[in-house]
Amino acid sequence: MNGILHHLLLTLRLNFRARQALVYGYLVPIFFLLAFGSVFHSSVPPLLHEMGQLVTITILGGACFGMPTGMVSERERGVWRRYRLLPASTAGLIVSAMVARYIIILLAVLMQFGLAWCLYRTPFPAHPLGELVAFSAVCFAFLGMGLIIAMLAGAVPAVQALGQAIFLPMIMIGGVGVPLRTLPPWVQHLAGFLPGRYAVEALDACYLPGGPGLEDSKFALAALLVIGIAACIAGSRMFRWDSGQKLPRGAIPWIVFALAAWAAVGLVAERTGRLAVPIDAQPRPPVAAIARQSPTAIASAKRWQDVTPAETAAITFDDLPRDDGTIAPVSRSLDDLPAASKTRVAGIRHLLDNWPPARQGDVVQRVRNLLCAAGVFDVLEDPDEGAVGYVILDTIRRQVPGEDLEKVLTYIIETPAGGTVLTSVPGLGIQGQITEEAARERSVMYATKLLKRVLGK
Amino acid sequence: MHPPESSLAVRDLVKTYGSIRAVDSVSFVIAPGEIFGLLGPNGAGKTSLVECALGLRLPDSGSVRVAGIDARADPDEIKRRVGAVLQSIALQDAITPREALELFGAFYPRPIPAIRLLERFMLVDKADARFETLSGGQRQRLALALAFVNDPSLLFLDEPTSGLDPQVRRELHDAIRQCRAEGRSVLLTTHYIEEAEALCDRIAILHRGRIAAAGTPGELIARSASHTRLIVRAAQPPDPASLARLPGVIAAAQTGGAVSLETRESGPVIIELAGYLARTGNELLDLQVRKPSLEDVFIELTGAAGEPS
Repeated sequence: MNGILHHLLLTLRLNFRARQALVYGYLVPIFFLLAFGSVFHSSVPPLLHEMGQLVTITILGGACFGMPTGMVSERERGVWRRYRLLPASTAGLIVSAMVARYIIILLAVLMQFGLAWCLYRTPFPAHPLGELVAFSAVCFAFLGMGLIIAMLAGAVPAVQALGQAIFLPMIMIGGVGVPLRTLPPWVQHLAGFLPGRYAVEALDACYLPGGPGLEDSKFALAALLVIGIAACIAGSRMFRWDSGQKLPRGAIPWIVFALAAWAAVGLVAERTGRLAVPIDAQPRPPVAAIARQSPTAIASAKRWQDVTPAETAAITFDDLPRDDGTIAPVSRSLDDLPAASKTRVAGIRHLLDNWPPARQGDVVQRVRNLLCAAGVFDVLEDPDEGAVGYVILDTIRRQVPGEDLEKVLTYIIETPAGGTVLTSVPGLGIQGQITEEAARERSVMYATKLLKRVLGK
Repeated sequence: MHPPESSLAVRDLVKTYGSIRAVDSVSFVIAPGEIFGLLGPNGAGKTSLVECALGLRLPDSGSVRVAGIDARADPDEIKRRVGAVLQSIALQDAITPREALELFGAFYPRPIPAIRLLERFMLVDKADARFETLSGGQRQRLALALAFVNDPSLLFLDEPTSGLDPQVRRELHDAIRQCRAEGRSVLLTTHYIEEAEALCDRIAILHRGRIAAAGTPGELIARSASHTRLIVRAAQPPDPASLARLPGVIAAAQTGGAVSLETRESGPVIIELAGYLARTGNELLDLQVRKPSLEDVFIELTGAAGEPS
């Protein structure tokens, strides 16, 4: 036991002496944090809904690249061959390597939380203990996969190839890099067969303000444990001390065994209807946050017709994002658009004229639908988002007379959680879905921008 | 039962890789305080034999006992009792000798303190240097120090001086001799014939997985089919055919400016040679007597020349 503890501590110490390990273990996570911070700006504050993904990527990197690279490199040098002469159990040394990597990744994730707060004021996890439990379960599952990679890889370059084979699908279609809600339904179902989906789900549940915590993540945690146990068993049965040692004969059945755990989890999730991503399942908490920012209570029973000029005058425009920025952009005009965009935006303007949500009887809901449409183009980062914002605001102004429009917009701004919101607008030629919270947030922003124009401010 | 005094008893050990029998029914015993050499050309099966004895490879059949303990039945106890320096072993670039010794020592109940090993193997100055900065000799001394960390009664040294310069090799030879003085047994594999002859109490010559011959260096030489050679130089080059007719001479041949005579007993032939030269009015300029060496035995048994030490 003393030897294993010594090995664990020395592994940590050596990790912090290796420049390459520091770059991969800590600089790369910082790079991902900054990249996410600049790309995913749909939340206020930024990264609120991306931290689960970000942490999952950090764990994936440490577990599926960092640990196997270290193990294979040591095996190539003969270090593990020498360890084999020690009166130590294989399991003990494996556990020591995994725990060391767990601590290394934990420090990287804590650093990410700290930096996210410093740079973007992204809050810390709402359920810290739950987040730690979720983090541990994700680490366990991914470190198990890393152990398999370490046993399969004959040399360090092979670790990169095998790691990418796991990393890329999870990033692209597993809900880790690209948010699950923006992916087509069939991909959302496919993602249920990849561990990354459960990792993000468990981490998000404990991270988001007002999130359900571990209570709603039991299935995700169980899935991660099943995947981790299968991977650890397979990895330890395939263990190789020596780079000259061939893979054991039973290696392929053990790999199948580990992957069968992924399939089993996916099938159970599918059978129990857990793989769809309904709008209801989107994160809700920031709705309450928006409500707190509003001067009027959400539960106001007031009709839009009762909005007074004083209420409209009380609305301030100081905190609005810039029109030429990345959040809720609105083009100054359509004149400078490239020809292809001009054609496309003209088509969208035409679609808007006959778009059913824009023909609602309830004027508030109609305006809210149009504002949401602008929000969808914005959050999904459509290349013509600013021009579409311009066209939509113009459409609203054409549809609703001036005095009524002031009241409707004031009403929408004051009741951000009222009515219903659109989280996808395929009828306007854009695929993908945004969260309800993002839709409400953007509709309020665009309403405020339009009100500013209507008032001539 | 094996005699209690045997440090290592290998019996009928067999290890095959596909159709190749790397170790073929090998048996030998090493006594306490004995340095036992396994001498053989590359590919003779030395490393496979050592790795089977250490439990790093599973033999197909046969038994290995260390101090009477069955290696298969209690491998951890064996690991606690033996030390080893294996081929192609390195440590992490950033680890220091002190850290390595402390790490390896932590796995044993009564390790030798790192500082004592650093002193013994002349590594005190490099105690806190990174492994990647150590010279080849320092790395090999560290490997030897690591083998001593559990105060072993039996050491496996698998070609420990391979690739080292003569000075470092001499230092390691001294360290290996000290093992014998301390009562430790050593199984030394080498392909340096002079190293085996200089260090080992007994030697087994391994050829194609089998022990071709075993014994003390003197016994092996005595059993050799090779003959003593007399290299004769005279003022007038003597006729080899005439010398071949001298009593006791088995064969004679011209070698450059000298004549080489093969004989079983050199003394009587030298007397006959002196008489012959006096009779023919010739003057003896130089006479060298070359006894059969371990290298001759090695070449006889394996058909391969050993590497010069």
